[in-house]
Parts: sequence; structure tokens; C-alpha cells
Amino acid sequence: MSPFILSILLLGLGLGTTITFASSHWLLAWMGLENNTLAIIPLMAQHHHPRAAEATTKYFLTQATAAAMLLFATTSNAWLSGQWHILQMNHPLPTTLITLALALKIGLAPMHAWLPEVLQGLNLTTGLILSTWQKLAPFALLLQVQQTNPALTIMLGITSMLIGGWAGLNQTQLRKILAYSSIAHLGWMLIVIQFSPSLALLTLLLYFIMTSSAFLSFKLNNTTNINSLATSWAKMPTLTSLAPLILLSLAGLPPLTGFMPKWLIIQELTKQGLAPTATLAALSALLSLYFYLRLAYAMTLTISPNNLTGTTPWRLPSNQLTLPLAASVTATNFLLPLSPPILSLLTP
Amino acid sequence: MSCICFYLVLVVGLAAVASNPSPYYAALGLVMVAGVGCGVLVNYGGSFLSLVLFLIYLGGMLVVFAYSAALAAEPYPESWGSGPVMMYMVFYVLGVVMVSGMFWGEWYMVFWVPADEMGEFSMARGDVEGVALMYSFGGGMLLVGGWVLLLTLFVVLELVRGLGRGALRAV
Repeated sequence: MSPFILSILLLGLGLGTTITFASSHWLLAWMGLENNTLAIIPLMAQHHHPRAAEATTKYFLTQATAAAMLLFATTSNAWLSGQWHILQMNHPLPTTLITLALALKIGLAPMHAWLPEVLQGLNLTTGLILSTWQKLAPFALLLQVQQTNPALTIMLGITSMLIGGWAGLNQTQLRKILAYSSIAHLGWMLIVIQFSPSLALLTLLLYFIMTSSAFLSFKLNNTTNINSLATSWAKMPTLTSLAPLILLSLAGLPPLTGFMPKWLIIQELTKQGLAPTATLAALSALLSLYFYLRLAYAMTLTISPNNLTGTTPWRLPSNQLTLPLAASVTATNFLLPLSPPILSLLTP
Repeated sequence: MSCICFYLVLVVGLAAVASNPSPYYAALGLVMVAGVGCGVLVNYGGSFLSLVLFLIYLGGMLVVFAYSAALAAEPYPESWGSGPVMMYMVFYVLGVVMVSGMFWGEWYMVFWVPADEMGEFSMARGDVEGVALMYSFGGGMLLVGGWVLLLTLFVVLELVRGLGRGALRAV
């Protein structure tokens, strides 16, 4: 891809998210979302591989459906209440429709089926953009919509967590596992979004850090399935020994960063008197833990036999950029002691 | 009365497009809907707006019609007379009737002013003033809209860029 086109597309990605962030008007927010979708499409189909083209088509159709649904919901909101302001939604019908449209956009559980399929067709860098940057704009809108009743977001959250855990159990492809992990994490955000938006934002930011580490380390290892993960001890010994920590941080085990959002969310849910929901959420994290552990097992906890010449690829220097990975791995593992300042930074 | 007719044709025409007939019948329905939609706008006093819209629709329709007639020619096209298409059509019309019940009579009139309402107070018609507003207050939106269209051009060019691969479907 020509660097001029690439820079225009990246500018479009940035501009779309910025427009959606900056708007208080639904039409402008919708324009930002469309801009975002359009700008990523050539990046997805960059290599013109049949899988990539298929994934791009699926992504385009899903996002176009979601955007049309959002537009319909906002026009009916204007029809029913006479205004386009994002923060002043009060009619339940457009509010529900908008929530469902945004859920389709970020891939929440009953509308999640496109996400693993699309992510499986992309390379890891584009997949990283798709599962981080592309979630920002719809999520910012979701944060601003005031639900009349928290039941919808709680249902979306619980279904996402359960399906994200359950469907990930059966996968051997890393990108699909990461997609299901994304669905499960978005479920955690949605479950708390009506009670504490700042907590949902914190979960989103920490998920971005953790998933960036996972995507970047898989990219450095050049692996896309569990089988090829097994030889990563010979390629990148240091990264391989750090990888279980990244994965367990995604799973949310205590001394690591990933524990922070789960801890705070379960605390918030208990404060709201939703103990059964909190229990269900905590139990659904076990499902995800299983596949993260399996990845860690295949990657680090066993050293699979290899022929003698196959044990030394670590001697070959890699020319990939490792500084972002180093920063994100550090943040993935050691941010838990900083939870009070992070929380107070995000609390308005 | 003509307004009711326009609405009727608009809704039935949209159902006709959505009910999945052969592509050129769908394109025919789309042409009809586009024309009638502009008629609805004229009824509400947006004559200039509807003229602009009609010209743009006409340009788009030419391409869509030519494309679907040339690429999707079938020996036995399915029109609205055939079973499944008719079923969809009835289903959609019923759906529209049911959903419109939800919106019936509930519309919020405080902020909405039809274009002819202020006839005595304004120099030009409402929609012509709207064009002026689009270039003054709405300049930022116009700029963003123009940029998105330019971006779409680049996106399409990048997707169908040659190198022996051709378009999306030819890979």
C-alpha cells in the first residue's frame, strides 16, 4: 500500500474516532462511526488474500447494518423527542435500539458472531487495531447513553461473558481465542457501565493494554495457532517466559493488572446489591481462565521436543519493533499497585 | 390527498425493493421510491431540496440500473408475482403497519417547523435558506462530509486496485 494512501486512511481512522468523541449530536457521531468503518476497510483487505477479502466483506456488512440501525434509532429519537442530543435520550425505544446497534458494532454477545470470523481473516496488526481502536468510538457513545433500565446492559454483559468464555474453549486458533476474549472483556465493561461509567472506561483501557501485549507477542512469535505456539520457547525465550503472565493477566489473576478491573467491578456490583450477578460474573471468568491457561500451557509450561537445529532460532535477531511490546507487557503485569491513582484519575 | 398517495407509494415501493425480487425489478422499485420521496418533500415545501435530491438520485439510479441490468440479467426473472417475493412483501408491509403504530400521533412538534410555516417572515423559501445555512453555520459539517466522500473515493480505489487481482470478488 502506498504510504500516501496509508497516511490518509490512518488519518481517517483518527478523525472518525475524534469526531465521535467530540460530538454531542447523533448525526455527527454517526458520521464519525462511518468514517471509522470506511477507513479501516482497505487496511483489512490490504493483502488481497481471499480470507482477508471475506473478512472485510463480513466486517463491512455488519458495520453498515449497525450504522443503519443507529441512524434509524436516532431519527426515531428525533421524531419522538424532538432533539438529537446524545446525553438527553429519554424515550426507551430509541435508547434500546441504539444500545443494540452499538453492541452490534463492538461485537457483544447476541450480536457477536461476526467478530471471531472477521478477526481470523486479518493479520495480527490489523486485528489489534480492530479490537482496540475501533471499539473506542462506539464505546464512548455507549457510555453517554442513559438507559432507562439497567436490565438491558446487564443482560448483554452476562451473555457476552458467558459466550466469550464458552465459545473460546473449543478454539485452537489464537485470533479466534483473542476475539472471544474480547467479547468476554466487553461483557465485563457492559455489566458495570450503568453503575459506574468510569469503571467501565478503566476496564476498557486496561483491556487495551493487555490485549496489545497478547497480540504483539503473538506477532513477534509469528504464530496464529496453538500448534505453532509450542515452538515459541525456541524463538523468543524471554517473551515465552513472560507470556503466561500476560495471559493470566487477561484472565484476571490477582497479582497482575487484569485483576484490577474484575476486582473493582465485582465490588461495585456487590455495592449495588447485585450479588447473584457478581457471582455469575466471577464464575464466568473461570471459563476464560481455562483457555488462557491452555495457551500458557502450550507455550511455556511444556517444552515440546524439537530437532537440534530447530532449537536455536533465538540466535537470529528479529527486526520487529519491540519497544511498544516491552511497555505494554510491563503495564500488563505490574499496574495493580497503582489501582487507586488510576481509579481516581478516571473518576470525574 | 396527493400526500397520502405519495406516502402509500413510498411505503409499498420500499417494501417492493426490500422483498428481494430480481435485481432490475428492485432497481425499478428504487427509482419509483426515489421519485415519490422527492414528491413527499415537495408537499412539505422543500421544492429546491427535492430538486437537488432528485438529480442526485437520478445520477445514482442510472448507475445502479445499468449495473444491475447488465450484470444480473436472468432468463427467468422473479417479479413480485412469484410466491416467496410476494410473501416477503406482505410481511414487510404488515411489519411497517405494526411498527408505525408505535410512532402514531407521538411526534414531538415543538422543534419542528415545516418550511412554509414562516412564509410571511422570510425573504426566501425555507429550503433555500437551509442551503445558505449549510454553508455558514454548517460549514464544519459540510467540510467533514466532503472529506468523508473523498476518503470513500480513496477507499474504493484502494480496494479495486489492479495488480492482476481485480475487484473484491475476483480474488
